[in-house]
Amino acid sequence: MIAAIAIYAGCILLLLGALFSLIAAIGVVRLPDLYTRMHAASKAGAVGGGLVLLAVALLCFDVGVGLRAIIGFVFLLLTTPVSAHLLARASYRTTDQLQMKMVVDELKTKGGPNSAA
Amino acid sequence: MSPADALSLATLIALVMLGLALLISVVRIIIGPTLGDRVLALDLMTVIAMGFVGTIAIRTGLMLYLDIAIALALLGFLATVAFARYILSRAAMRKGDAP
Amino acid sequence: MNPAMTVVVLALIWAAITGTFSGLNLLLGAAIGIVAVLLLRKNLGPPRRFRQLRNAASLAALFLYELAASAVRVAIVVLTPDMKSALKPAIIAFPLSVKSDAEITLLANLITLTPGTLSVDVSEDRSLLYVHALNFGTREGLIADIAGGFEAKVREVYS
Repeated sequence: MIAAIAIYAGCILLLLGALFSLIAAIGVVRLPDLYTRMHAASKAGAVGGGLVLLAVALLCFDVGVGLRAIIGFVFLLLTTPVSAHLLARASYRTTDQLQMKMVVDELKTKGGPNSAA
Repeated sequence: MSPADALSLATLIALVMLGLALLISVVRIIIGPTLGDRVLALDLMTVIAMGFVGTIAIRTGLMLYLDIAIALALLGFLATVAFARYILSRAAMRKGDAP
Repeated sequence: MNPAMTVVVLALIWAAITGTFSGLNLLLGAAIGIVAVLLLRKNLGPPRRFRQLRNAASLAALFLYELAASAVRVAIVVLTPDMKSALKPAIIAFPLSVKSDAEITLLANLITLTPGTLSVDVSEDRSLLYVHALNFGTREGLIADIAGGFEAKVREVYS
């Protein structure tokens, strides 16, 4: 009985994770500029991948494998914002800001980003 | 629906959705327009591929696939960090060339 | 956590990842943990007290909730038919009141994974954090949101 509930819950997590991954991919194609795309990839992408890993943890019925999946999930949540931040920082210094459609850009008005890499 | 049937159906649907997501993110890699966009799409693609491999681990019951998924996530992170540094150093080099 | 505790925890995580809790494997994990602690000993902070651990747990709970909310919000924005009207992107300078490297790193990572915000850069004197907002309302509202939510929690964990 408990195993059946775990399997159904794992299925729901798996489908949710796949759905968020799909939404992240659609967002990366549909959104208008690099930073808004980054929102889609870093949030929806991390949640999508993370939910699939949690589904693996729930469906494997093995403590060692489940722990590994959960550690993978934590690892994913730790690394995704770091890579998104690095990429945002690198792109801000290289791309032409005229093509970015922003209401306010205080990074530019306050003398631009610091030049040290 | 028995649990086993539900599991097989759910993994099939998830594989189709993740495969579709992979194809859609390839569109962004092709149309660009900047290197940053392509790197972002590649990063997302490795995360989706990780989910794909994880789903295969559930479907086949072979938990060795989970190790591949985690290694893929690690590789994607390192690749994105390396690309970000490359974008920065390329910009610095261009600035140095300009008079 | 003192260094010995860190090594033990790292050894346990190693055993969990590799999937075998045998003595030899734990020793190998401890050896790798010692190398990691030696390499990073300058960056490890002073020992944590129990109260801080509880604050860290409450921060983690808040974070998981905000992460789920942010993913749903991004999904709604992506699936809106007329996306242009739902978007008001902006970069805002957020005045930092936390000062140490560790606090700023933690806060920037938390901001990236919460609804509608993404940290882009830190100013050279570490007084400003540049935040990209997906759906910009008012500057004061956004700043009050971060300062009252995550920044206060981060300061509790490190105080």
